[in-house]
Amino acid sequence: MYGRRASQLLKEQASCEAGQLTPFNSDAFEQVIKECDEHNLQLRSLIRKIEDQNLDIQTTRNEDHFGAVIHHLSLIRNKRCLMAYMYNRAEIIQSLRWKLGPVLPQEIQEKLNYLEEEYFKNHSTVIESYMSEMDIDLTVDMVPPKDPYIRVRVLDEIGEVCLDDHSISLSKHSLHFLRRTDAEPFISQGLMEEFVE
Amino acid sequence: MASSLGLGSGMWSEEAEIDASLLEGTTDVELLKQAWRNEKAAPEILKFQGPLVLRIREQIKLLEETVDEFRENGVDDLVVSLYQMDLDRTLFLLRSYLRIRLQKIEKYTIHISKTDLWNHLSEQEQKFTERCREKMEKHLEQSVLARLPHGYQSIMKQSISSEEDDMVPEPQLDTFVFCKTKDAVGAFQLDDTGDDIVDLVADDLYVIRYKSIKGLVDASQIDLV
Repeated sequence: MYGRRASQLLKEQASCEAGQLTPFNSDAFEQVIKECDEHNLQLRSLIRKIEDQNLDIQTTRNEDHFGAVIHHLSLIRNKRCLMAYMYNRAEIIQSLRWKLGPVLPQEIQEKLNYLEEEYFKNHSTVIESYMSEMDIDLTVDMVPPKDPYIRVRVLDEIGEVCLDDHSISLSKHSLHFLRRTDAEPFISQGLMEEFVE
Repeated sequence: MASSLGLGSGMWSEEAEIDASLLEGTTDVELLKQAWRNEKAAPEILKFQGPLVLRIREQIKLLEETVDEFRENGVDDLVVSLYQMDLDRTLFLLRSYLRIRLQKIEKYTIHISKTDLWNHLSEQEQKFTERCREKMEKHLEQSVLARLPHGYQSIMKQSISSEEDDMVPEPQLDTFVFCKTKDAVGAFQLDDTGDDIVDLVADDLYVIRYKSIKGLVDASQIDLV
């Protein structure tokens, strides 16, 4: 059936939890692209056939015309599916920049194709230029603040870091009492967690 | 939350006597909070509150200076942290407000850049939109469009036979929003046919389609919650 493969591509995406990426399905993607070419070939040859019979392409309503319409519509459907697939993924990629910062963890990077990696970097710079033009960092303060300080536990060796005006050694498993705005970037990268007793 | 905002407003009133908003008895933080709520609840991007954001940023700077001064002069830690908390809350509101707007732009980049909504953006947001659009177009171009047959390569149209742009995601203006009236609006017509008329009395809660009350939100006669 025409268009089935493209819809499967989207179904795969829809069955995944919202906001999560599935690994880029390049096999299915390529097959749909190939399908598009085939539809186009069929479409062209049917149009040529109508023209060869010296019929008016605008008004002819024979079997060749309807065949061509079906190929045209299938092509459009495939295009919409491919675009939706790419676009929905791009939206998730945008949201990752907000949630995780400018560097993606390995396991997410593996799910992107190379154009998407490129897009993530490009979009990242767009957000960064806005922030520098406005002179404000929008990637902190993702949740409404309760207390200006929070207690955190370091999950991974971070080492010596300079915060505000003093440097502090963030070694693995150590507990610290930090300003929330200082700790947030580490937390979003998974290097720290809020410590709740 | 209210008590801490009260603390802030007391201090700011000294330097902001000229401020028109204060004459009405509301502080800029209250105004920002409302702008933020509206922005959060509205499906489309609202007018950028340029002057308000500018004022807030000045006040934040002032507060930061005050906090620093307090620290240096060894003012009681508790007082300092109260001021700090107030500052953090205002900063959060501002950041979140700007962030929500950027995320709306990310979502409806093309729609915003080809409609009147363009005029709702700040100068920096307009630049952001242009760049966003450029990157997104390049991405879709390379991954999908360039590989499709000729005649199907437009990002705006499904094929060359489409007369209008039918591939551009648009915000859903039909959704219902919760809103609260400030003053009585009176009999209000909900749709074009005029069958549905609601009497909007002052200070009351309603659930209405965003589309119908769009004008009232723009004129800030009604608040979204």
